[in-house]
Amino acid sequence: MKSFEEILDFAIDNEQKAHDLYMDIAEMATRPGMRQTFLEFAAQEMQHRERLEAIKAGKLPELDQARVETLGLSEHLVDVPVEKDMDYQSALLFAMKAEQRAYDLYAGLAKATDDPNLVTLFEGLAQEELKHKLHFEREYDDVVLGDN
Amino acid sequence: MSLKYTIAPFSAWLQAVSKPFTVPVTGGPRPGAPRYRGWHINDVEKCIGCGTCSAICQNEAIDMVPVDDPVVGDSGLRPKIDYGRCCWCALCVDVCPSGSLGMSNEYVWADTDADVFRYIPGVDEKPWDDSELGWRREEGFELVDHDRVPMGMLDPDERTQTWAEVVIGYTEEQARVEASRCVDCGLCVAACPAHMHIPDYIGAIRDGDDARAVQIIYDNNAMPEMCGKVCTRRCESVCSIGVQGDPLAIRWLKRYATERFDNLAEVLQPQVERVGEGRTVAVIGGGPSGLTVAYYLAIRGFEVTVHEALPQVGGATFFGIPRYRFPMSSLEKQVDLLKSAGVKFVLNHRVDGDELTRMLAENDAVFMGVGLMKPMALRAPGEDLPGVIPALDMLREQNLGHEVDVGEKVVVVGGGNVAIDASRISRRLGAEVTIAYRRRVVDMPADDEEIEDAEAEGVEIVTQAIPLRVEATEDGKLDFVWGPAEMVQEEEGKRPRPKLIEGVENHLVVDRVIVAIGQGPDLDWLPTEISEKICNKWGYIEVDETGMTAVEGLYAGGDLVNDTADAISAIADGLRAVNGIVDKTRAQHV
Ligand SMILES: Cc1cc2nc3c(=O)[nH]c(=O)nc-3n(C[C@H](O)[C@H](O)[C@H](O)COP(=O)(O)OP(=O)(O)OC[C@H]3O[C@@H](n4cnc5c(N)ncnc54)[C@H](O)[C@@H]3O)c2cc1C
Ligand code: SF4
Ligand code: SF4
Repeated sequence: MKSFEEILDFAIDNEQKAHDLYMDIAEMATRPGMRQTFLEFAAQEMQHRERLEAIKAGKLPELDQARVETLGLSEHLVDVPVEKDMDYQSALLFAMKAEQRAYDLYAGLAKATDDPNLVTLFEGLAQEELKHKLHFEREYDDVVLGDN
Repeated sequence: MSLKYTIAPFSAWLQAVSKPFTVPVTGGPRPGAPRYRGWHINDVEKCIGCGTCSAICQNEAIDMVPVDDPVVGDSGLRPKIDYGRCCWCALCVDVCPSGSLGMSNEYVWADTDADVFRYIPGVDEKPWDDSELGWRREEGFELVDHDRVPMGMLDPDERTQTWAEVVIGYTEEQARVEASRCVDCGLCVAACPAHMHIPDYIGAIRDGDDARAVQIIYDNNAMPEMCGKVCTRRCESVCSIGVQGDPLAIRWLKRYATERFDNLAEVLQPQVERVGEGRTVAVIGGGPSGLTVAYYLAIRGFEVTVHEALPQVGGATFFGIPRYRFPMSSLEKQVDLLKSAGVKFVLNHRVDGDELTRMLAENDAVFMGVGLMKPMALRAPGEDLPGVIPALDMLREQNLGHEVDVGEKVVVVGGGNVAIDASRISRRLGAEVTIAYRRRVVDMPADDEEIEDAEAEGVEIVTQAIPLRVEATEDGKLDFVWGPAEMVQEEEGKRPRPKLIEGVENHLVVDRVIVAIGQGPDLDWLPTEISEKICNKWGYIEVDETGMTAVEGLYAGGDLVNDTADAISAIADGLRAVNGIVDKTRAQHV
């Protein structure tokens, strides 16, 4: 990957894939309310995609480089497989881990690149993923860990 | 007519230029004495609109008038004083529970408009608003008793050796004294989710009419002995006496009144319209919301059947709350009343999706109050090891009378009521108990008194402790590994959140890890065509203002509907559904 556009296309494609995955899970979800949950997750991924497209088209300013402080909630929790009877707790855990993986990917790419412009872009994308992760962490902290 | 009278009007004019008889005041009016009782001042931010000033004023000089939207703990009203009536006795100042009301030492005020002498101190600006001088209630001089009558409790050492109730309860004399502290302001009524008529039943207790108190209590609470023992008492948190002293012991007074009578049916003779004759209602789940629906519909003539999965109704107050807080005899007494009102119970019966569909077709209404039955999982590595158990399962086994073995050492993860109950039960089972909680003690959702009681019984609380993993040790124990957390205030106005401090690990070797981090709904059994209509994304059920779901005739309430998850909110949800069903039935009669 070389150009700014190519990298954004790659990131846009990743958001699309995440959207499609959530749509698939929504389709098979059996637990009450979970179809709605995954459709909402999918819609959020679509918003992320649209945001990146707007940046690519120059309609939005470049990605924010400010460091996002997450709660570090999912790192010590177990991985959850995709299953049709996922509950809300598993769904949030899955989403937090997915955003963390996306962060790791962009942060890794930033390290592997010498071009300072591309480093800035990858780091911006990485922080963007952390923002998404923080959103799910807060929900997990409020809803799942209400008594803890 | 004499000449004298003829010239009098003209000679009167001479007075205009003659030396006055009055002595002009030099330097303006004399200032009032430092503690003079002059025009009122009120710190309206501190005032809670309780109206006690208005109630005590013997001249009826104070009206409570709306100045703001009411919020819990503040009626939004403020006192408006009519100086055509006020005699400056200062009783209002001396009684004011918040200490907001005072009097300036200003007393001179002339105006041709009589209406200006009725104003709202602190709201209608006056020159003396910031007056430091004038009458204030003296330190230590209280018209209202600030100290609560203390509640007798078992000694902490004794408690862990027995399953007996910890709280002893008020004697008649204690209850009357405690009840006489109430100023009848009614702020508590707005704070209570069921809007119980608190000042009225407290007044009846004060006047020695306990039967009347119970009748008032049963107006809108069918499980008051339970509430009198374990209620989260939102009412007490807004009690006006609590602003400067101890809030009224509302929960203990309710407990006192209901415990006075063994046969409630003899005391209660509800006079309500039997609007439901010939109609049937099925209730799924015998928790507080379901039992509320059952009682209030049964006394209105509905034929009600409660279907409960466990061998006893009561819901979480039966299978969750330990007997030393809410004994079986109290629960049975309340259930007996329901039976005498004609409610039928089908126990040991778990309703499934097909039966629900059938019930909807065969009854005039169905109410679902099946609570939050699914414990949240730890989701940390090692959570599947034997010995890592959900607190709800452990409490249920204990309350069903089955043998529970927690070993010698236990860690309970969580800080809500469930965690505290699990830890205090474990103490009674002989274990050494540590609670590991991710946040601080102030953040614990459990009742402050329960936390204190647990500590008094020897439970150790470790705060800001994040579970990292559980490992099996070679000698068959569990190593509970946790990391310390720092609290980060990342969103303005929200409670701070714990964040793991990386690189530090603490170990606690125990026999059981009891998980009490939260509960969620377990509604997998609902038919999809119903769950799609009534469940939100969290898997909770949504209802309208009549308590009905999006499925016609299907009502719901309790923990799986509200976000407060306590017994009194479940009762309030039950009452909402009762009103919904009764109103609908009435409309059908027309
Ligand atoms: C350990 C513990 C301690 C608590 N302490 C307090 C406290 O101190 N103060 C307080 O105010 N609140 C406390 N609570 C919360 C309080 O008990 C609940 O808010 C309240 O009981 C909720 O009432 P509910 O009507 O929603 O039903 P629940 O009490 O949750 O009862 C639901 C009932 O439905 C039954 N059920 C479920 N599914 C089915 C089915 N398919 N068919 C038939 N029956 C079914 C269940 O067996 C259960 O009996 C505590 C809860 C627990 C667990
Ligand atoms: S008694 Fe005090 S707190 Fe209550 S309404 Fe009057 S001024 Fe306000
Ligand atoms: S000073 Fe006395 S008469 Fe005047 S408003 Fe207060 S209580 Fe009433």
